[in-house]
Amino acid sequence: MAGGSSVLEDDSTLSKLDQRLHKIEMVLALVSGFAVFATMVFAVVSVSGRNAINMPVPGYVDWIEQLMPLIAFMGIAYTQRDGTHIRMDILIGRLSGRALWAAEFITTLAALILMILLVWGSWEHFQRSFDFGRPWWSNDSSIDIALPIWPAKLLVPVAFSTLCLRFALQLWGYGRAFIFGLSDPVAVPMIKSAAQQAAEEAAMLDSDT
Amino acid sequence: TEWNVSVWGKRRAFTEHVEKLAELVSEKTDGEFTMNVSYGGLSKNKENLDGISIGAFEMAQFCAGYHRDKNPTITVLELPFLGVNTLDEEVAVSHAVYGHPAVQADLARWNAKLLMTSPMPQYNIVGTGEPRDSLAKMDGMRVRATGGIGKAFSAVGAVPTSVTATEAYNAMESGVVDTVAFAQHAHLAFRTIDQAEWWTANLNPGTVNCPVVVNVDAYDALSDKEREALDSSVDEAIAHYLTNYGELLTKWEGILAEKNVTKVTLSDAELDAFRAKAADPIREAWIADMTAQGIPAQELYDLVMDTLKKQRM
Amino acid sequence: MEPIQIGMVVSGIMVLFVVLGMRVAFAAGMAGLVGLVWIFWAKFGYAPDKLGKAITVSVKVAGQVPHSKVSTQALSLIPTFILIGYLAYYAGLTKALFEAAKRWVGWLPGGLAVATVFATAGFAAVSGASVATSAVFARIAIPEMLANGYDKKFAAGVVAAGGTLASLIPPSAILVIYAIIVEQDVGKLLLAGFIPGAFSAIIYGLLIVTLALILPNFGPPVRGFTWAERFKALPPAMPIFFVVFIIIFFIYNPFGGDAWGTPTEGGALGAFVVFLMAIWKGMRWAQFRDALLETAKLAVMIFTIIWGVLIYVRFLGFADLPGAFSDFITGLEQSPMLTLVMILLAYAVLGMFMDAIGMLLLTLPVVYPAVMALNGGEMVSAADSAFGMSGPMCAIWFGILVVKMAEFCLITPPIGLNCFVVAGVRPEVSVQDVFKGVAPFFIADAITIALLVSFPWIVLWLPSQV
Ligand code: NA
Ligand code: NA
Repeated sequence: MAGGSSVLEDDSTLSKLDQRLHKIEMVLALVSGFAVFATMVFAVVSVSGRNAINMPVPGYVDWIEQLMPLIAFMGIAYTQRDGTHIRMDILIGRLSGRALWAAEFITTLAALILMILLVWGSWEHFQRSFDFGRPWWSNDSSIDIALPIWPAKLLVPVAFSTLCLRFALQLWGYGRAFIFGLSDPVAVPMIKSAAQQAAEEAAMLDSDT
Repeated sequence: TEWNVSVWGKRRAFTEHVEKLAELVSEKTDGEFTMNVSYGGLSKNKENLDGISIGAFEMAQFCAGYHRDKNPTITVLELPFLGVNTLDEEVAVSHAVYGHPAVQADLARWNAKLLMTSPMPQYNIVGTGEPRDSLAKMDGMRVRATGGIGKAFSAVGAVPTSVTATEAYNAMESGVVDTVAFAQHAHLAFRTIDQAEWWTANLNPGTVNCPVVVNVDAYDALSDKEREALDSSVDEAIAHYLTNYGELLTKWEGILAEKNVTKVTLSDAELDAFRAKAADPIREAWIADMTAQGIPAQELYDLVMDTLKKQRM
Repeated sequence: MEPIQIGMVVSGIMVLFVVLGMRVAFAAGMAGLVGLVWIFWAKFGYAPDKLGKAITVSVKVAGQVPHSKVSTQALSLIPTFILIGYLAYYAGLTKALFEAAKRWVGWLPGGLAVATVFATAGFAAVSGASVATSAVFARIAIPEMLANGYDKKFAAGVVAAGGTLASLIPPSAILVIYAIIVEQDVGKLLLAGFIPGAFSAIIYGLLIVTLALILPNFGPPVRGFTWAERFKALPPAMPIFFVVFIIIFFIYNPFGGDAWGTPTEGGALGAFVVFLMAIWKGMRWAQFRDALLETAKLAVMIFTIIWGVLIYVRFLGFADLPGAFSDFITGLEQSPMLTLVMILLAYAVLGMFMDAIGMLLLTLPVVYPAVMALNGGEMVSAADSAFGMSGPMCAIWFGILVVKMAEFCLITPPIGLNCFVVAGVRPEVSVQDVFKGVAPFFIADAITIALLVSFPWIVLWLPSQV
């Protein structure tokens, strides 16, 4: 069950698109990270407010629930880009060449189809909560302080669309690798052993202290 | 015909009418029309209306206060201090409101037809320490109460505090809240009664309204015999619910005694003062707000009051 | 086809795609969606013109799940616990702990290895993730053990095993996930992990001392620290105790009286203290940004698998598979304890090939109701139950058991992730070395699990005080 991998880059169109999308993905992932930080600060403010001046943050639970989709979805394409989403590579780790690219192509295609359908499904979910004709355009609200829920629901199809773009690029990368029988294709995560991965993780920590 | 029914939690007093309805309908149609009641397997409770609208299942239960904007019209039944005193009265006012065309149109947006209510008693509070038996003592009190009831408490200076129902016990134990407002069965289910030293017997600040709805297309697709079986079973199912909840209320008295929980009674003067501070302004704000949205708010409120009057004659 | 059969076929499809290397989150989501379409189309009598409608309904049902399941306050604990771990590293807590443990217990036979176990246990009190704990300690503890003449296989094994403590000792991301899947009290579960975690650490420690006494060249004790030096090593490690203290007091006040808040708040406050500490220790924007990005990546990975699997679970709900499995388990004509032990063994086998979170998410929706039914139902009293404990207590006990199983799987071949990580961090140690070195700890873990199964009060005593 290994995850993280490296992505090769060159100056082909595919790789340029990959790098451009990567920049966007990174910004979105940072938004996820800051949302984590915000929930932490928010809890501290709520605890202090309650204990110091008997003023808990009104609707604290409602606000946290609105923040959660930011944390959970915004970084989804960033996480796919380098292959952090976990999988079992016990079989695929033994394949190489065209057999490997074919397997990757098939599973990526299946995932892309799933995500396109989920963009549709989550968009419908957003639409049911949204109505131009109502105050705050809201057709669904939170339990305690009646926050409109549609902004949080809208995040899902938006984030899923970036993941679809990522999958499309990876599909292109794997297809190219299959057709030309490449050994080191660009724009797709290269499988690394868990050991390599751990070494890099450690290196990351090293470089910072 | 086989219907999927989405409710949540565990089988309890609150779901007994649904179980009874399934039983009756199957009996009356010799097993031709059956209902599978699913406790949380088909949907999250706050999304049962979405599921009905999608057509994922044919029948569902939900509470209006979970999502005011999904069902603005029924929130009239969750206004504080409506003066509903018994479960029978709760059934009468609920079903009167469910029959109003504006309410039916509101729910039709979800492709839903209101079938029956799940009458809930008033949300009285349990607490520890000195009983909060006057408005002055409620000032600064941290209370777990949502929606209209939460607003009512904040009108008298209490601090409504967000915790989920499942966290209510911990929140009370840890002092995150001083008091918790629930119906009796929920005080039992979420064990807030185990923390309590007192319970307000006559504060009666309001309750939540939890209808059972059916998908309109599924309802229309029933054969005449099946539809008749369904419609004719509603009153019986409600009667069963009331008997069952009645037993629970008797048991409640026993539990209060057993756990040595004091029944706190507020004086009429205090209750009047509470109503003046909370009920009137919140109701007026609700009417203004809903009227602005094109909902016949005043009419709905009057309907509740008239029904209550008729019920008491 | 009956819904149960559809459930089996769709589960088979999912396993196939997981083996083919599809990311688990998407394989589960896809299987769930396919299953929903199948169920709805079957409901429409497989009429060809109704396939479109079945797909539409299924996509809309599946499309609800990601937002619906993720917007839960209790889940906000997971990213907070991950962030704490990264910040603790930048706050220098890892080194401080190891140094303190070395000075205090280094004199024991196999002293440095014992110190490593206790330091990982201490770090576990701020870190919610096992793999990260092993990675961090591989860099600090292994070189020191090697310099003191410890066997390299064994030095690596100690770190790999020590890392697993992080998921039992609170905070623990995986215990939060369990609590959420089975809808039990997060605070009590976290509390319940405390004693089994400490207990595991002590059993590891005893094992090391025993081995050091038996094997002559195991590794020398580290002596010669004065009491003054010992006490001097404590203050830098203090923030750990402060964080533990905060989290405990926010779950349960050991002195009676009110706890200080909810577990969610305690976790957040703990993270905040470590954050301030990291800034004080010189963490700057670049490191903070990396910590946030790494936290986001790990959190998103976990959340994606959560909603992906929950789409599959939603399908299982429509197929009523959990109910059927639970009927099957309770219908077995053998002692409930034997059935439970078989379930735990099945986890040991499954865990050889899967990672802990994925394994729990995939199996619990079906296995958990079955285990609860085996005990006599969710609301059963201790007197009427099969395992001699009430429904809620059984939920906690089983949770600790499966999490301990999942942790056990982090050090078993062929895919023991902690072992790979340790070998990856230390180029001089091969994966085979780590697996050899960690082997004695299988025995320790097997003993621990047997004790937790035989004496449930080890798990249940602390949560029952609340
Ligand atoms: Na931990
Ligand atoms: Na393993």
